Order: sequence, then structure tokens, then C-alpha cells
Amino acid sequence: MEVDIRAADGVAVVEPKGRIDSVTAKVFGERVCELVRGGDNRVVIDLANVAYMSSAGFRSLLIVGKTIEQAAGRLALCGVIGELKRLFEIGGFSQLFVICPTRAECIAKVGPVGPQ
Amino acid sequence: MKKPPDIVYGLEEVPPPVVTMLCGVQHVGLIAINLVYPLLVFRIAGTPANAVVDLIDTGMLVLAAGTVLQALRVGPLGSGFMCPSVFTATYLGPASAAAKLGGLPLVFGMTIFAGFLEAALAPLLNRLRPIFPPEISGLVIFMIGVSASVAGLRLMLGGSAVPVTSAEWSVAAITLATTVILSVWTRGMARMLCALIGVAIGYVAAGIAGTFDPAQGAAVGAAAWVDVPQLGRVSWSFDAGLAVPFAIAALAAAMKALGVITICQRTNDAEWVRPDLSSIKGGVLADGAATVLSGLAGSVGTSTASANVGLAAVTGVSSRRIAYAIAMILVLLAFVPKFAAALASMPRSVMVATLLFSMSSVIVQGIQIMSSRLLDARRSLTIALSIVAGVAVDIFPAIAEAAPPAAGPLVGSALVLATVTALGLNLLFRLGVKKKVGLMITGESTDPETIETFFARSGRAWGARPDVISRAVFGVQQLAETIFENCSPQGPLAIEAAFDEFNLDVRVHYQGEPLELPDARPTDEEIRESADGVRRLAGFLVRRNADRARATLARGRVTIHFHFDH
Repeated sequence: MEVDIRAADGVAVVEPKGRIDSVTAKVFGERVCELVRGGDNRVVIDLANVAYMSSAGFRSLLIVGKTIEQAAGRLALCGVIGELKRLFEIGGFSQLFVICPTRAECIAKVGPVGPQ
Repeated sequence: MKKPPDIVYGLEEVPPPVVTMLCGVQHVGLIAINLVYPLLVFRIAGTPANAVVDLIDTGMLVLAAGTVLQALRVGPLGSGFMCPSVFTATYLGPASAAAKLGGLPLVFGMTIFAGFLEAALAPLLNRLRPIFPPEISGLVIFMIGVSASVAGLRLMLGGSAVPVTSAEWSVAAITLATTVILSVWTRGMARMLCALIGVAIGYVAAGIAGTFDPAQGAAVGAAAWVDVPQLGRVSWSFDAGLAVPFAIAALAAAMKALGVITICQRTNDAEWVRPDLSSIKGGVLADGAATVLSGLAGSVGTSTASANVGLAAVTGVSSRRIAYAIAMILVLLAFVPKFAAALASMPRSVMVATLLFSMSSVIVQGIQIMSSRLLDARRSLTIALSIVAGVAVDIFPAIAEAAPPAAGPLVGSALVLATVTALGLNLLFRLGVKKKVGLMITGESTDPETIETFFARSGRAWGARPDVISRAVFGVQQLAETIFENCSPQGPLAIEAAFDEFNLDVRVHYQGEPLELPDARPTDEEIRESADGVRRLAGFLVRRNADRARATLARGRVTIHFHFDH
């Protein structure tokens, strides 16, 4: 799995690519948490290129969410489509996260000028 | 059955009376196009003009009865859908041969024989299910659309047709453009009646351009305003030599009914997954009964109306009430020959444009059904070669001309040849396809790609739905990951998968600690803070991912069984 991180309008956009499973979930979670601890507490995670996410992947998302909450930041997800969307629904994660249809909407939602 | 968003008035809904009647008129306009088939047969039999009028009136009554039979579901009879009866090109070859050999009595007698044969096929359809998978239903529907469109184009462009004038091209373009514009960019009445308005504009354009056939015009002028159809002046005979071509035509009519009723099901149900054989059996029986009735009353074989079913899908009006309106209008037309003659005189440019429009939805539905399943090389070849076979006889009519007379109905029809080719190849390619497959995963870590490839390959060989295979892949990958992480397996994981059209059952066996499949999701805190929370989330996801899941432990061997409805 690769994790691409870039800044856009004061927001850190994280784009994991590949599988988030028991092997890769920890690395993914730690990279995002480090980012937040470094001061980037407005985060968008684009999951459009995630081919598979297991329970370990969902755990890492929950940890990231908690870390951002503790840093008084904001998190939004996009690219939750197809099979991944189904897994979010059956696992009861759709209501837990702010999920937007597009990356731009996510950035607008969590960005410095976004709604509180 | 869930009404699709594009459907304005669904099967059980009651449109306003004006919409019902105007939609009925619109459908009758399409049905009238196929009056050309009995007219051709009567002409071959040398029937006098006054008798032809009576026979056509009788034919209208037969079509009305067939349309009602199809819409009703009385016991085993009828599909329950708005699926009108029409005269069909399928019987044209055999009926023409009968007309030459023994005149109209032989045409009527052999039509009764074919109708009984088609009706007798209906109860056997259940047994045909394994050799008639959904992608072949899709192929049949696709070929119905293509062959009807080609037949329409042949009316204008065929070798024996009178050359098309530029005025006729203009009329065709105006008719098609009007219909398409109303269908795509308008709503309400304009969309629902787009074909009728297109035909009306087409008639006006044809009048202005002067493209009406003067002979047809004279026939309209000569037809009476009111006339009571003369029934009971027919006789019947039978010739065993014509049994084979009529039997093949009956089989073709049954296959067409199967495809057309599948379109009805799909048009009316947003959650359609596979053909429902109970309404198809009823529809084939009703189609056979209508053909028997046609032979008894003195007309030619009937079939289900693919163009009308396509029109219902495009206009969004598929209410059963429309079928009754169509029947009522057909009965009225039987008593008003002038209207019937006016419909029969539809200029070919208007006729072809309307047919092409109606068939567009049929062709797309066929493609969608074919692509709704995973296809391996065998299934892809079956579809591709069958399409090529069907299209070949349309492009090269010499193939049919060179065939023995008995094989005429088989080789002469693109739809029949494509269907028979698909059925034959499907039977052949079933050799060596296993319904139960297995995979062993060894080692300390899971290999996700192996699991994915295993299910993808099996799913394509089975012709399974891609969404169900994706769920099975996730279930097994999540399970394998969790077992290797948490359950200390001794030895490999054995995966077994068994498939039939309705079920996918996956069993994963291993020696080790059992895995809990909880009904309740662990809390967010449990998932975040403890390894047990993640493990229980895995078990919860695996349970919710399948339609049914259970874990059993026997002599230290754990078996986890997933069931997926297919």
C-alpha cells in the first residue's frame, strides 16, 4: 500500500492506494496520526483507490478519527464508493464519519473557511 | 417488484383514462405494422380482396384476445404483463409454403398445430433453465432488437424494395427526430405519447412530401366505415410434410416469448436479477393459445410484441390497463375497416423510424442482461459466435437460400439461428465446468490475490453475478486474515465453494481456535482499544457480509459456512 499526502487549501489530503488490511493498516494509521500530531489537524482521506479494507483498516480509521478529535481538528472521507461503501454500511461506519461525494466538497467541509 | 424510476405508470398502476386510450392507440399503430405478414400470406394463397378484409378483421379480434390472455394470469395461463400479441415474421416462411401447397385451409390447420406445440413447450421450460442462463436470455433479447431493426430497414433498403426517394428519407428523419426529441427532452404526456406524435407528424410530412402509396390510398377509400367481421367461413387441413418447419417456428415463437417477457419483467422491476420462469411459462402458454385461436378463427401465427414492450420501456407506461385498452381498440378496428386500412397504409418511412425507435430499448436491455454476469472464455465465445451466426444470415440471405427447405425456418431467421447456436454451444461448453471448486491456503499469511483469482475464475465459469462474487471474496479474505492473525491455525485453510443459479455456498475449514461471528457490533472504543474488539468486528463484518453465516466446531476442526443468495 502507498500513502500519498499533499496539502490543499490548508487541508492535508491523504490518499492511500491498495489494500488496508492487518499488514498495512498500522502503517497507514500511524502516518496520518503523525501528520495530525505535527499540526495538520484538518484532514481529508480519499479512499477512491483502496481496493480492500478489512476490520484492521476500519480500526485505523477510528484511531485517526479519535486523534483528530483530540487535536480539535476535522476529518472527512471521500471515495467511499462501490464495495467499500457497502462495507461502511454493514459495519455501521457510514454515520460515524463525515463522508462527501467529492474531494473538493471534503476540503470545503474541513477547510479553514468551512462550516464549523 | 420495485418500480424503476423511469417508469411513470407501472404494471399495477392505473393511468388517467386519456393517457390509457392514447397509449393504446400508440401501441395499436405499432401492432398494425405487422399486418403485412397475414396480408402477404393471403396474397400468396390468391385470396379475393373482399375476403382479405374479413380475414384481417378476424385477425384483429384474435390479437385482442391474445393481448388479454397475456395480460391476465388465470391459473397457468398468461404472463400478467402488458405484452400485446402481434402477427410475426416467424411464421411467414412456413405459412407461405402452406399457402402455396394447400391454400388457406392448410395455413390455418398448420397454425393450430404450431400453437398447440408452443403451448406444450411451456411446462418444459423449467427443465430448460440450466441450458438457458441469463446471458443467453440477454442474447435472445439483443437479437430480437437487432433482427427486428434489420427487418424494418430491409423494408426500405432491401434488394426487392422500391428504391428510397430523398423525400422518404426526409419523412423518416422527421418521424425519428420528433419521437427521439419528445422521448429525451420532454416529460409527461409528450414523453408518454412520443411514438404516436412522431407517427402523426410522419403522416403529415408524408402527405406534404407526396410519399403515400396511391394503391394504399385507394384501399383506404374503398374500405367500409362499419362492417361486422364474418367468422365461421374457414376450413382446416393438415400436411405432415410441413410439420417440421411449423414446429421450428413454434419453438422460435416460444424463445421470442421468453425474451420478450423477460424484458417486461426487467422493465417493471428495478431489482430484477434473473428471468422469472413462472410468468414466462404463463406467457408462452398464452402465446401458444393465441396462435391456436388464430388458426381456428382463420388467421396466421401470432407472437409476443417486442416493439410494444420496448415502447412501454421508453415511454415509461407499462401499466396492465394499456393492454386492455389495446384489446378494446383492436376490437373496434375489426368493426371499422376504414381505420384498419388507414393503419395498414402507414408509409414505410414512418413505419421504419417508429420501429427503430422502439427497438432501441430492446437492444440495450439485451446488452445489459448479457453484461450482468461474469463471463469466461466459454461464455464469451457462446455469445460472440451466436451473434455472428445470427447477423450472418441477415447480411447474407444466400445462406438461407442454399439450405434444405426443412431447415428454412432455422437458418432463415437471425433470431432463431443465434438462439439455437447459443443453446448448442452452451451445452457443449458445460462439459468440464465444475459446480464445486476448492482452494487451499497455506503459510502464515494470507495471499489475497490467490483468493481473488480463485473466485474471479470460478465466477466467470459459473456466469455468476459480479456483486455476489465480490462479497464472497471479501468474506474469505477477511476471514483468512483474521484466522491467521488470531486463531493459531494448524495447517492450511481449506476453502470450498459450490454454486447454482440461486445459491453460492462457501465453506472454510481449519484446525485451530474457533472464531466468533457476533450478531452485535463491538463499540468504537472496543475496536480502537483491544485486539478482541478488532477480532469481533471481523466476525461481525463476515456475518453481515453474507446472507447467512455460521461457525461449527467438530473434533477441533472449525467450519465457517457462508451462504449468499444469488
